[in-house]
Amino acid sequence: MEERFGIVRAVFDDYLLFRRKHTWRILRNSPHLDEAFRYRVEAVGVKAFHQIRAFVKPTTRLVQSFGRHATKARVALSRAELAALALGEQLPLDTGLENGYVILTLSGEPLGLGLLIDGRLRSQIPKSELRFFLRA
Amino acid sequence: MTPNRHFSRYREVIPDFPGFLAALERPLPPHVRVNRLKASPEAVTAEAAEEGVQLARSHPTDDTLLAAGGDTSPGNLTAYFLGHLHPQALTSCLAASALAPAPGAAVLDLCAAPGGKTAHAAALMENRGLIVANDLHTGRHPALAHNLARLGVLNAVITAYQAQQFPRRRRFDFVLADVPCTGEGGFRAVKGRTEPIRGPRAADLPGLQKQILVRGFDLLEPGGVLVYATCTYNPQENEAVVDHLLRRREAGVLPLDPGISSEPGLTDWEKERYDARLAETRRFYPHRVDSVGFYLARIGRTG
Repeated sequence: MEERFGIVRAVFDDYLLFRRKHTWRILRNSPHLDEAFRYRVEAVGVKAFHQIRAFVKPTTRLVQSFGRHATKARVALSRAELAALALGEQLPLDTGLENGYVILTLSGEPLGLGLLIDGRLRSQIPKSELRFFLRA
Repeated sequence: MTPNRHFSRYREVIPDFPGFLAALERPLPPHVRVNRLKASPEAVTAEAAEEGVQLARSHPTDDTLLAAGGDTSPGNLTAYFLGHLHPQALTSCLAASALAPAPGAAVLDLCAAPGGKTAHAAALMENRGLIVANDLHTGRHPALAHNLARLGVLNAVITAYQAQQFPRRRRFDFVLADVPCTGEGGFRAVKGRTEPIRGPRAADLPGLQKQILVRGFDLLEPGGVLVYATCTYNPQENEAVVDHLLRRREAGVLPLDPGISSEPGLTDWEKERYDARLAETRRFYPHRVDSVGFYLARIGRTG
């Protein structure tokens, strides 16, 4: 997160990550946690990352919660551009960024991830969530 | 049974009963709670206005509670996707407000799904401390997890115990018992709906509600606060349940000022007499507050 997006490690100082196979979940640290884990816990916090081959990919919800701390690899989009992404289109993007994940924003609000490959941007936000932009 | 006939059993206890029946003929107005974990009321109001939805304050002292105009669907707004708001009835929002969990506290939500009140508690706690969001029905966990994630709740774990048998391994500073109920308060005679009660187990509910409330109380730290909430008018699911607790535990009814129109809890109903302290609990009616009919009791330890 620091290398790609400039989100400094200290942003996550108050949080714990729990790994299970290829998924990490994030939870705010608390003195109450030791006793909480005496229960049979079904789910901890929010899904934060999952591993896809060699890449660890942040989830949409993680980006929405922490993306405001990003200082680079942010791509501001209009509603019309988001509507195009929602339809499965790729957008040309000439930013000088290296290939990889970028944080998509609307009016400064982080929405989720995009994937930039050779100057073409496509959305990584689940299609069910992108429906919000089809009315543009 | 027709709605009028069903609700006629409350004719003597609901003030302005004709006004109450008239309110049931009107659709429930859309209402949202701004999620302060992610956005301010001003920002959400502006975001919604950009999409043609006007939001206006619905509560005199809580600026996160906003009514949406007309037949709008707040769940279709971009602000919903971003977790800036949650569609939630005004009276439903009062449960977590009454609980008022402190940042850093240990909180137990005994019947958490689909998570609106849990997320409200997390916002009041500024995402600090711990919430154990319990719901027996694992089929409801996806909705619970979705809402908590969308709303940026990062201080909650989910469990799946029977609320009335939640393990007594530790006590909590705050306990929310938003129990299963007949749901009469959500009834409006619109869109062809004629049956005021949902679900087949209405007769079993008071027994279950009493067990859940007593267990919730037993899990409460000394000095802690427990809120009992239902969305029904039925005294057997409301005052009778709290009366049951007051008779069996050293529990007290704490003052509750919801900031909007409400009526005192009942101290008698049909042939039953309840503890006089039940008058400190609050009833909410749709002709006084255009929202879901609701009941709230705020409870603490006296011993």
